[in-house]
Amino acid sequence: MSALAYTLTEDIPKIHETARRAFDSGKTRSIGFRKEQIAKIGYLLKDNEKRWREALHADLGRHPVETGLFDLMPTYSEIEMAYNNVEKWTKPQGIPFSLTWLPMHPKFQAEPKGVVLIVAPFNFPIFLLLKPMASAIAAGNAVVLKPSEQTPATSQLLAELLPKYMDPELYHVINGGVPETTKVLELKWDHRNGRVARIIAQAAAKHLTPVTLEVWKNPVVVDPKVDVKMAARRILWGRFSNAGQICLSPDYVLVPAHFQDTLIEAMKEVYKSFYPEGPEKSNSLSRIVSVAHATRIKGLIDETKGTIVLGGGADVSKRYIAPTVVRDVSGDDSLMGEEIFGPVLAIVPVKDVDEAIAFIRAREYPLAVYVFSQDKKFQEKVFKNTKSGAACTNDTVVSAAVPGLPVGGVGSSGYGYYGGKHSFEQFSHYRASLDNPSWVDTVVFSFRYPPYKPNYTRYMRILTSKLPPRPGKHATVSAAKRWGFWILFTLLGASSALLMKSGRFAQFKAWA
Amino acid sequence: MSALTYTLTEDIPKIHETARRAFDSGKTKSTEFRKEQIAQVGYLVKDNEERWREALHADLGRHPQETDLLEFTPTYSEVEMSYENIEKWTKPQSIPFSLNWFPMRPRYQAEPKGVVLIIAPFNFPLYLLLGPMASAITAGNAVVLKPSEQTPATSQLLAELLPKYLDPELYHVINGGVPETTKVLELKWDHILYTGNGRVARIIAQAAAKHLTPLTLELGGKNPVVVDPKVDVKMAARRILWGRFSNAGQICLCPDYVLVPAHFQDTLVEAMKEVYESFYPEGPEKSDSLSRIVSVAHATRIKSLIDETKGKVVLGGGADLSKRYIAPTVVRDVSADDPLMGEEIFGPVLPIVPVKDVDEAVAFIRAREYPLAVYVFSQDKKFQEKVFKNTKSGAACANDTVISAGVPGLPVGGVGSSGYGYYSGKHCFEQFSHYRVSIDNPNWVDTVAFGFRYPPYKPNYRKYIRAFSSKLPPRPGKHATVSAAKRWGFWILFALVGASSVLLMKSGRFAQLKARV
Repeated sequence: MSALAYTLTEDIPKIHETARRAFDSGKTRSIGFRKEQIAKIGYLLKDNEKRWREALHADLGRHPVETGLFDLMPTYSEIEMAYNNVEKWTKPQGIPFSLTWLPMHPKFQAEPKGVVLIVAPFNFPIFLLLKPMASAIAAGNAVVLKPSEQTPATSQLLAELLPKYMDPELYHVINGGVPETTKVLELKWDHRNGRVARIIAQAAAKHLTPVTLEVWKNPVVVDPKVDVKMAARRILWGRFSNAGQICLSPDYVLVPAHFQDTLIEAMKEVYKSFYPEGPEKSNSLSRIVSVAHATRIKGLIDETKGTIVLGGGADVSKRYIAPTVVRDVSGDDSLMGEEIFGPVLAIVPVKDVDEAIAFIRAREYPLAVYVFSQDKKFQEKVFKNTKSGAACTNDTVVSAAVPGLPVGGVGSSGYGYYGGKHSFEQFSHYRASLDNPSWVDTVVFSFRYPPYKPNYTRYMRILTSKLPPRPGKHATVSAAKRWGFWILFTLLGASSALLMKSGRFAQFKAWA
Repeated sequence: MSALTYTLTEDIPKIHETARRAFDSGKTKSTEFRKEQIAQVGYLVKDNEERWREALHADLGRHPQETDLLEFTPTYSEVEMSYENIEKWTKPQSIPFSLNWFPMRPRYQAEPKGVVLIIAPFNFPLYLLLGPMASAITAGNAVVLKPSEQTPATSQLLAELLPKYLDPELYHVINGGVPETTKVLELKWDHILYTGNGRVARIIAQAAAKHLTPLTLELGGKNPVVVDPKVDVKMAARRILWGRFSNAGQICLCPDYVLVPAHFQDTLVEAMKEVYESFYPEGPEKSDSLSRIVSVAHATRIKSLIDETKGKVVLGGGADLSKRYIAPTVVRDVSADDPLMGEEIFGPVLPIVPVKDVDEAVAFIRAREYPLAVYVFSQDKKFQEKVFKNTKSGAACANDTVISAGVPGLPVGGVGSSGYGYYSGKHCFEQFSHYRVSIDNPNWVDTVAFGFRYPPYKPNYRKYIRAFSSKLPPRPGKHATVSAAKRWGFWILFALVGASSVLLMKSGRFAQLKARV
């Protein structure tokens, strides 16, 4: 593990100042420039894929499949999307046609917010820093990244590569721990994106900085009629990938009590197929980021009153926690407190789907609710009666990788989005513009000037929108309209018949 | 002026709880229900126009025309737009087609955030509460309104009418001053929209941070006007003074000061004098077309700014504090460090700051916080662009002031210290919504391509990841070469195809073809 060089605290305001000046210079105004920088993020990764894999292996003992699937692949698709859409996203937009306002050319256009700060945790250093960075650059901002000090190899690599690929004045990395982060948060940013949510939100409040935040504890609801092997496989995959250190990981499973045994049997089979020689020897299992976190997770396993049916072992000094499944967990168990953020899955037996819904509703809004069921009605029932950032059926975690889906929480799981245009928009400000020609006052709009005259209401009527029909009367109004239509239709029919019989018909015959 | 009944502090958590329960009951899930409530927001105003005009006259001495133009019109268009677009805005949206992902049916759909709080200041009590309320209802939220205690007649009328028109469990008004607002801010909301000043905004942002509540802040700022000496000066003078004196200058989008080339200041002031006379032929004090300042305290603050300025008062300057009257005032030769150039004036006083040229004007604006609007008066596109491209602001408007907020569908909002988030239309709807993502991944997907993701990981994994990975854009600096090569390739291929088909035609294939004929 290479040592991480911390940014000197006294340099932090200078970095902020450099970024501000570079932004003020206006060089990000050019769309060509933005595209070049977006592409360079891609090559910063592509040219050094092996080094990134190694760094993440050093930090998290992570197998390259997971780095490819969770960090590189979604970042590449974000880069492609930002690169291909930046012209479309930044072009001036009109409003729906309106005769009243047309002469003033009302438009709005996305402009950069300024200098933005992106703070990411240790679990997906590339995805969580460079993916939003691509959106922030597309929007035209200067960007400062604060990676986690818990992934020293990866954070060091980022600090080394970023200035080699990207404009060194606009884009920066600040590395460090609590003192450095505290210093960073004292400064005024135009947008922040980060995860030690309450602290960041408080600091942002001082400067009225808009914030994007994400935090989480995601339930899975299993329908007893589901293809249980598929469910077991996809739930365990989501829980054990990156050793459970994924904000979208399924955190606990709600299953009808009578179906718990069946589900666990299926999980045992899957477990064996995942780790044929046992998880400790597997190269397909990541390690926990730090001894402190490993100790915390082990504590949760030791204290649970549920029954451990798979795994349960740990070697804290090696930051190893065995992939673990615990059954018969109750609502007040140690595993049901904070988010687990490790490879431990709690199974909570409930009576039925209604109890499962009530269980979810009694807690904070999670980042995702997962349902395993082939029955549309079952799915709808859970989704319609719960709130969450995402609502996914028959798979876990993957929604974050789908290009263009806005990934984000609601309530205590945060606000704002990763991904595509929604991410671009949160780093942008839509600036409204119009240009009102002199003649508009002559035609209609001069009534606005004092002294106000009693006939002003006449002009107001032109400017005013019609209200929707009054509720309760709607049906009557449209019935009247329908009658009107039929009456008119009948009249037309009758009169044309009359016409045909009279001279017009004769005329027509003469033509023939 | 009717007395304003304050909500009892102990009732505030109950109101919050009622709204939460009503939201949880799921009755806002129906689009029909939402539409009904949106329409009712409109009729709450429409059926009682005369009473609203009277209340606002009592509170602000405001002429009904300003109430109609600046409160009713934008509220009605917001109601109409929300009502017409709700189906479109709330329907599930898919992503651009992708072979890799389409079997999973990725989609997202706007869902309500929950129980939202809207806090508005005194200057436009109707539009600033009911406009965003229409958006919040459209998104399916329960809504609590906190009007200003400084407009007692209007706030009282709102408290009286709201439960008569709207669902009384989902939608509420809380009236009161600082203790009531403090209580309100202790509670957990799912979104807060605050319109007002930066000082209170910081208090609200701190309170929201404790609950991680997302915020929209609509703040003011000192909005500059840059005047091009080649402009139609009468039009400029008329539209600047209109924006500054409407609602007695108590509009967050008001032009706050004018930057004018020194040599053109006399001309502009002359034109303003003419306009002034036409606006107030019998003097402003007697005019019924001038609003009053909301409170004696505010009037006193504004008067002291006029008293302390080192600039020269060329129009107005008078005041009658007990009547909350401040004469529409224009001050020339104001310098950057003048009392008038400190905080936002928020009254009918316009300082004119002479500068050398447009570059100095741009530098002047850039040295200050981002305002809510930058105004330019010029018929010259290049002049306009120069100012707009080199400054940042919520809005960038040429040849008029204030009215951009009235255009339906234009997102109204600040940037930097003038706030964040938007009023109006889809943008306002979106901030009261959460886009919830959904997928449904069929079993067979694992068999076809996506089985490689399961442990134990195998060395050939890269083959599958390649199938899922997007192509990177061309490497910067090499772009031109690559596409040139591609173009050549195309023409070479074209020539080859042409040549070979000619050869084919001349050989046996041609004969074969003839035989068939």
